[in-house]
Amino acid sequence: MRERIEKALRKSDAEYTEIRIEAVTSSWANFSGEELDSIGSAKTVGGIVRALVKGGWGYATFNDLSALENRVKEACESARLVGKEESKFAEVEPVVDEITATMEKDFRQISLSDKRSVIEDYNKIILGYHDRIETSNVAYSDSFRKVWYGNSEGTYIEDERPNAGVSLSATAREGDNVQRGSESVAGSAGFQVIEGLQEKAEAAARRSVDLLSAPPVTGGKYTVIINPRLAGVFAHEAFGHLSESDFVYENERLKELMVLGKRFGSDILNIIDDGTIRGLRGTHKYDDEGVKTRKNYLIKGGILVGRLHSRETAAKMGEEPTGNARAISYQHQPIVRMTNTYIDRGDAAFEDTIRDVKLGLYAIDMVGGQTSMEMFTFSAAYGYMVRDGKIGELVRDVVLTGNVFETLMNIDMICDPVEWPPVGGGCGKGGQSPLPVALGGPHVRIQEVVVGGRQQ
Amino acid sequence: MIVNRLIEKAMEKAQGAQASLGQSESTDVSFENDRLKSAQSSQSTGMSIRIIVDGKLGSSHTTDIDDVDGVVARALEAAEFGSPVHFEFPGPQEGPDVRVYDDAVVPVTKGEMVRIGEEMMTLVKEYNPHILINARTGKSVSSIQFANSSGIAYSTETTNFAVGVGGQWIRGTDILLAGHGFGWKKREIDHVEVARRAIRLFTMAENIAPIKSGDMPVVFTPEGVKVLLLALILGFDGKNVFLGSSPLAGKLGEKIADETFALTDNPLLDYANGSGTYDGEGVPHQVTPLIEGGVVKNFLYDLDTAGRAGTKTTGNGIGCSPTNLVIKEGDTPFEEIVKSTEEGLLVHNVLGLGQGNPISGEFSVNVQLGYKIEKGDIVGRVKDVMLAGNTYDALKNIAVIGDKAEWAGGSLLTPPIQIARLSVVAK
Ligand SMILES: [Zn+2]
Repeated sequence: MRERIEKALRKSDAEYTEIRIEAVTSSWANFSGEELDSIGSAKTVGGIVRALVKGGWGYATFNDLSALENRVKEACESARLVGKEESKFAEVEPVVDEITATMEKDFRQISLSDKRSVIEDYNKIILGYHDRIETSNVAYSDSFRKVWYGNSEGTYIEDERPNAGVSLSATAREGDNVQRGSESVAGSAGFQVIEGLQEKAEAAARRSVDLLSAPPVTGGKYTVIINPRLAGVFAHEAFGHLSESDFVYENERLKELMVLGKRFGSDILNIIDDGTIRGLRGTHKYDDEGVKTRKNYLIKGGILVGRLHSRETAAKMGEEPTGNARAISYQHQPIVRMTNTYIDRGDAAFEDTIRDVKLGLYAIDMVGGQTSMEMFTFSAAYGYMVRDGKIGELVRDVVLTGNVFETLMNIDMICDPVEWPPVGGGCGKGGQSPLPVALGGPHVRIQEVVVGGRQQ
Repeated sequence: MIVNRLIEKAMEKAQGAQASLGQSESTDVSFENDRLKSAQSSQSTGMSIRIIVDGKLGSSHTTDIDDVDGVVARALEAAEFGSPVHFEFPGPQEGPDVRVYDDAVVPVTKGEMVRIGEEMMTLVKEYNPHILINARTGKSVSSIQFANSSGIAYSTETTNFAVGVGGQWIRGTDILLAGHGFGWKKREIDHVEVARRAIRLFTMAENIAPIKSGDMPVVFTPEGVKVLLLALILGFDGKNVFLGSSPLAGKLGEKIADETFALTDNPLLDYANGSGTYDGEGVPHQVTPLIEGGVVKNFLYDLDTAGRAGTKTTGNGIGCSPTNLVIKEGDTPFEEIVKSTEEGLLVHNVLGLGQGNPISGEFSVNVQLGYKIEKGDIVGRVKDVMLAGNTYDALKNIAVIGDKAEWAGGSLLTPPIQIARLSVVAK
């Protein structure tokens, strides 16, 4: 493949050209209710050429590899149509490297029937948990992605990216009241990641049943304690997306808003994105521009100290590339994305966070999150009221929302230790979803959070 | 056709098979931050097969058009441990007439697409030079071959054309995002009108209007109606109904909404994104009333789910999802709805839709683009506002429906709808 890529790259007359080719084998099985819904496997091969001329980008994506050189020409033509100014693209040292994945249990060696029987067990646990359980959805999927990357500067990388995951969801019903409990697990370490999850299956079922009798949270402003998984969502949704430089680099007003050295939180707040942490879903040795990943402090001691870059945004902002240009597949160009994002540990204990709270909310896990620049909203899977320093009743439909800048300032307690829940799913941006990322953090307390819901 | 070869190969060992081959060429140009940023051409191929062996179903797909043997072998392996089938592949049937191909899309050049983007950008800039603009134009030409072991074999071609423009307007720490786009299977799109609509959204948002928490009447623009629709899309999904996770299960014939409310799945609208002669299982498309006079009329089914539920497919395969949704027009002009509102909210776009437990109808969303109505006038944009409620309660509580349906995207045709009271939480 190296020869083919390099030969095609030589056909380019652009200032910079890269080719990324991927071959993916994948399989899936899922149950909804008593029955297996779908089972199968797939093979995809495809690629993308990206060319830069006078600051303009041309892309060509394809499934048919036979005309690679023509695709290079097409991308160059597109780039020439677009380019009208001077290209800015940060320098990086060319690398040649080959990364092979090691899986304890290689899921490619496991038969569809074995994959099926693992989830069938989880499905039975959910359906048999309680007579209020109406139905279930248990889905297994895996993919083994081999990536060949070469660019016109001499970088050539072969990378292997395995991923296996299972999602477990239970639906409980009582008349018109329908509630769901979900758990998911995903990782790159092999098939063993999705084995032994009987307790998680039961937890999903238990939650769906418990939520039937839980009242919706009353909307209003609360002191909110978020658990580690939500803290990770908060780091990612509320702040991480804003530190992606493609939002900022050509936007003078946002640059003023996001100027390095500006205070965003109190001294205790540290937010980090780190693509090098072993075993996490957002970890890769190189990003999709062949740039080495690294640990990037975004907020240190409450102060904005860094942001995430591609080679283009780094050059345009006069900063260093950070290894955060990622693409979900060959059908997409790399854009600035997070890897593993977390709020670093503080020194509080969980008990400290609730002791002096008269009326508050302990929000747990997440079922979704979305941001639009400074506005964020995320949904906790469930929560407990905190009353007079004690954990109270279970509540449902917990949606936290607000303005990022105000909310970060309102973080007043951070616990120890940082946890990395091995959940599935991923991040969506610019039509690319889901990108595997990891979200981590400790328990965190935030004052004055707007919680959606009906008022009483 | 290649699909015939797939069927032949599969039927050496299977008792039933369906195969499809999709091929597409598309072109997109994109403007970011006030300038032309990129142009892209894409070629894609996908081939998939579903087969039945001993009453069990297996599936597989590939991007390699030459891998006929491989894709069949993998589907056979899957079928061995596969799901029990509840249907037979249908035989050939005459399909309805619907237009999905427009010759005028084919010759559109990248240069022309650039010009459309530039014109939209210029219009928005003329309105307000401080808005940082993004725009895009895209087109595609696709072909689908389909065959099954019961004798269906056909191929169709479709086209698609889409434009959009939007932007960011930052004042201090206030960031306003707005935009408008439209796409369908036809070249004919008035991009000047698309830009004008985007400008209108900005114009109405020039002032920030304070709003107090409380219950109030809420008007959803056609785009905003999606807030109410999500629960219905999940609720009318025949599989969710069969499995009992839909709150509508067992409610066929029951009144669940105000009698002015009617919702139809219509795949026969010329050039709409969800339109076509056949569904993904070779079943002719049909118009399916879902709600009429507030009463549940039908659910959406594909072959397998219909088999499981003991009913007939509605041509919504594979997956029981809607094609194009159409909400019936009422009789009040939008301007009059606004004029008759003493104090309320106009919702265009929200954040956080689909989080939580959407099938239950519950929603609790951040109003990303919404406007305050005061004494019959739209007085400005609202900020930091959450809107909460339940779709099913809201539908019983419809105050008035607008008299003019508009496209919100290329597969939803709806008038604005006012709900008498919803809960609004402001910061
Ligand atoms: Zn994200």
